[in-house]
This record gives sequence, C-alpha cells and structure tokens, in this order.
Amino acid sequence: MHKLRDAPGGAEARLRAELEDVAGKGKVYVLGLGNTDRADDGAGVLVAQALKKPFPEFSFSEHDGVEGTALDISERPGDATVFFVDAANLKSPPGTIRVIMADDINDKEITTHRVAVALMATLLEKSGKNVAVVGIQPGRIEFRGTVTSEVKDSVEIVTRALAAVMSAHN
Amino acid sequence: MRELSIENLARVEGHGGITVTLDGKKVKSVTLDIHEGPRLLEQLVKGMTPADDLNVVPRICAICTLSHRFAAIRGLEKALGIKAPEKAAWTRELMMLGENVESNSLHTMLLALPDFLGYPSAVAMLNDHADDVKRALRLKKFGNHVMAVTSGRIVHGENPVVGGFGKYPSKKALEEIKLKSHELVPDAVRVVEIFASLEYPTYSEAETLFMSVNAPRKEYGYYGDTILISNGKEANAEDYKKLTNERVVSHSFAKRSLYQEKTFTVGANARLINMGKRLDGQAADLFKEHYSDKWLKNPLYNNLAQAIEMLWSLEHMPEIVDKVASMDDPAIEQPTRTTGSGTGAVEAPRGVLYHHYEIKDGLIDVADIITPTAQNLDDIEKHLKLTAERMLADDKQDEEVRLGLEMVARAYDPCISCATHLVALKRV
Repeated sequence: MHKLRDAPGGAEARLRAELEDVAGKGKVYVLGLGNTDRADDGAGVLVAQALKKPFPEFSFSEHDGVEGTALDISERPGDATVFFVDAANLKSPPGTIRVIMADDINDKEITTHRVAVALMATLLEKSGKNVAVVGIQPGRIEFRGTVTSEVKDSVEIVTRALAAVMSAHN
Repeated sequence: MRELSIENLARVEGHGGITVTLDGKKVKSVTLDIHEGPRLLEQLVKGMTPADDLNVVPRICAICTLSHRFAAIRGLEKALGIKAPEKAAWTRELMMLGENVESNSLHTMLLALPDFLGYPSAVAMLNDHADDVKRALRLKKFGNHVMAVTSGRIVHGENPVVGGFGKYPSKKALEEIKLKSHELVPDAVRVVEIFASLEYPTYSEAETLFMSVNAPRKEYGYYGDTILISNGKEANAEDYKKLTNERVVSHSFAKRSLYQEKTFTVGANARLINMGKRLDGQAADLFKEHYSDKWLKNPLYNNLAQAIEMLWSLEHMPEIVDKVASMDDPAIEQPTRTTGSGTGAVEAPRGVLYHHYEIKDGLIDVADIITPTAQNLDDIEKHLKLTAERMLADDKQDEEVRLGLEMVARAYDPCISCATHLVALKRV
C-alpha cells in the first residue's frame, strides 16, 4: 500500500499536502459514503455535507446517490480528482485518517444495497480521473449511536483539508 | 463425508452461506445458513405510535425502504380506518415504480449478469462491457431519483405518512421524471435483450408455486389486497398467516414459509407468471416473445422477469406522473378509530411483503412483518439441492457446482438483512 500515512491531530497540514499531491490538475470532487444512522460509519457523509454548502457542485454524499454522481463525473470532460471519504477499518485507533489510492481499495463487493467503491473508482479511472479514498477509522458503529469525539475531530480535520484543496482547484 | 461450502455468498445483501453435505456423489443435505442476527424489530415497535413505527420499520432495508414504508402504511391505515386520498395513492404507485427500477437494474446488470458472462464481478465487466455497466448505473440513478422526489430522500424518505404525504412532488420534478423515463426506455429494452439472449442452465428445474399480490384495477402493479397463487386460488392478504405458515429451523436466524406443506416462490417471476398478461407497451410485447413454460420451473428466469418488469415500470411512469400532476395536494387523512387491525401487502422488488398491525388505543400492540426472502428460503433450498445433485451426477467439478449454486441463490435476489450471505459443500 502506498500513499498511506497516519494523520492524527496536528497533522492537518500534512494531510492537506497529501491530498494536494493526489489532486494534481483539474477539478476536485468529494463523494461521502456511509450510514449516518450508524454513528461513526457516517463520517464520510458528514464531511460531504459540511462541504456541500461552499462547494454545492463538487461535494456529494449517499443522500445524493453516489453511483449516479460517479457516473456523471466520469462522463464530464477534463481532468478531475474524486476523493471518496468513508469510514474504514484501518486497524488503528478511532479517528485515524489515511489516504488510500484506488489500486489499494479492497471494497470490491457489490450488494443489493451498495455499488462497490471499486466499481465507481474503476469507472472514474477509465475515464481519466484520479481517485483516492480518505479513510477514517470509526470507533463506534452501532445503530442510532452517537459519533465519537475522535471521529468528530477527524471529520473537521478532513473537511478543512479538503476545503482548502477544493478552493484551490474549483 | 465431504462438505462443499460457500461460506459467504457474495453479491447478495446480508450475511449467509450455503452448505452442501455430500456422501460420495449423493447429496445428503443442502442448507441455506443465515448468519445475520435477528433484529427483533417487531418487539421494538410494540407500544409505539404509528408515526414512530414509520421511523423504525423502513430501516429493515435500505434498498426496499419504500416497500417497507408502504406496507406499514397500508397495514396501519387499515387498522386505523383511514382511506388515503387519491393523489397519495398515485404518488405511492410512482415511488414503487422508482424503487423497482432502482433495485432491478442493480440486481440484473451488476449482481446476476457477471455470472452468466463469466466475470467475477461487475468491476471486472467494466473492461469489456463498460456501456452496459453505465446503463445499469443510469437506470439505478433514475430509480433513486424517483424515490427521492416522491419520498423526500434517496434512502429512508419521510414524506409518505399514514393518511397521505407530508409533501407532494412539485410539477417541475414530476415533468422531469416523465421526460427521463421516456429517455431511459431504450436502456431498459437493452437489459431485456441481454437477459433474453442468455443460456439458462437447467440443473435447478423443478415445479413450484408462485405467489404475488393481485394488483388493483386488474392491472399489473406492486400492491394489492388479495394474493394470487399460481394454482388458480386467491386469498385475502389478511389471511397471510395461512399463506406463509412461518416456522423456525435450527440452521438459520430467518424463519421459513410453506404453503400447504409446499415451497413457493415470490418475486418478479411470480408477478409475471400471475399478472404478466396485464402488462402493456413494449414490456407486454417482450414478455409474450420470451415467456415459456421454463419460467415455471427454473428460478434463473427471475432475472429476465426483473428486466421486463423494470421496462414496464419505466413505461408506466408518464401515465402515473400525469395523474399525480393533475391533482391538488390534499390534506393528510386522520384516523377514524384508535383500535383495530390491518395487513398491508405490497410487492417489494424481491416479492410479497406483509406488514400486519394490531393497534390498541392508538399504540401498536402487535406487529408482524414477513419478508419476501423469508418466504423464498425453503424454495431456494429445494432448487439448490436439485442443482447440486444434478451437477454432481454430471461430473461437474466443485468450483462449477459452487458457481451453479450461487447463481440459483442469487437469482432470487435474496436480501438476508431483510430476512433476518450464503454456500458450504460437506462430504461424509
């Protein structure tokens, strides 16, 4: 696995630099994944929702239909980078943030409930877009649970870092 | 003794497996093992108000969330003596068409098709069939859009309520649905053509019964007050217990169903077998062209049935949109009683879904939810056993047998999360 780095508290600048490295040229999109009914599992959706107001054309979540959004972006001309933001089991302490490149995405299974990130990532890459996943380690994922303070902090860090990159590119 | 196992059936929803126990080439048993834990939702909603119930039960499933919501609303409205306004009834039909397109496009093209074309997944299909994968995503996106417009959100929308809708779709949004549904018909026709051109293995073939709702107005549709059985009988949905006869088995957290001691199928094939003559448009033409007696025996034809039905759902949308758009927004109908009982039967994408409620002094006293996958499980096991026996008799290798079994199980589009992944081949 490459481009993989812990970004605990205080490492926001490093995360931002890493996202900027991945972004390269073109527009930057965010697709937030997860289930907000399941506490920290909804971290990606929380990031996308926070970015929706300043970047309504560039930030989407499960609530907008991520598969359709990925299809739309794949059909747009020009360079672009898509950051999927999702809760991920990084086998690390809650709130750990890692940037995972498309080749390293393990989520290849499509179910009736969800098209795999790998399908959307492959579709986007075949249309010339950059893809990476920003993973946040959840601490609690039970139904109707509350978001942990560690993940809440990480959601804010990722949101600020992505906002900075999106401001520079969009 | 040997065990051939598929410990975690992929491309279905939920956690389960299939275990085939073999003695030489003889199949001792086939079990569809459900590992998904019971969620006890029926107990959870006891004592809740009908409005609170609607915040809970649609969360049984994120893909047929609107089917669960609609079934619950129908059961609760019957119990409370409410007749929903006409505009609410048509808007509910529209949301069910959207959910059908959303679910059937995903299952046919992204979950079932890779098996037939020899790919491990739709991700691998992208290299050679990118246009078809994109077609599936376009259809799914549109189905999601219709769900969002009618219910308020893509998943777990809150607009449909007991007695009507909190908010109706705007005329502009309805007009967009009408235009887009026309535009996507060729995509849906292509899906039918793909599934009509496939070779369906015959190992699983066996007679069975098919159950579906009897949709109103003698039209095709996704809800009804009576249940059609392919043996020519018809039963009141209120008698759902006599139709399903739920029982517990030791290897599964999901309950099982038998009708008169026989297994039965619910789903798109059951709907088309029982109501296919009611289709219209290109869907009717393609159904006539591709329907055969094989549908009555081979569960793999459920994939083709889903494709034809998805086309009908798209073709039917403009008519429903016109009806909804022509009516003023009515007020939400209020209960006429606080104590009563009622059963809501709807066609979720996977088949008949029942929500039964008994309400006492405005609060839920009894809730009983019977999902389509739970009704299909015994039928799946029957067809899996035949498939294993015939493939082994045909000297098929274990990997081929595993794929054959997975294809049969997947054809039912099982939602194990709803019912409470799926194959192990065990030799003795």
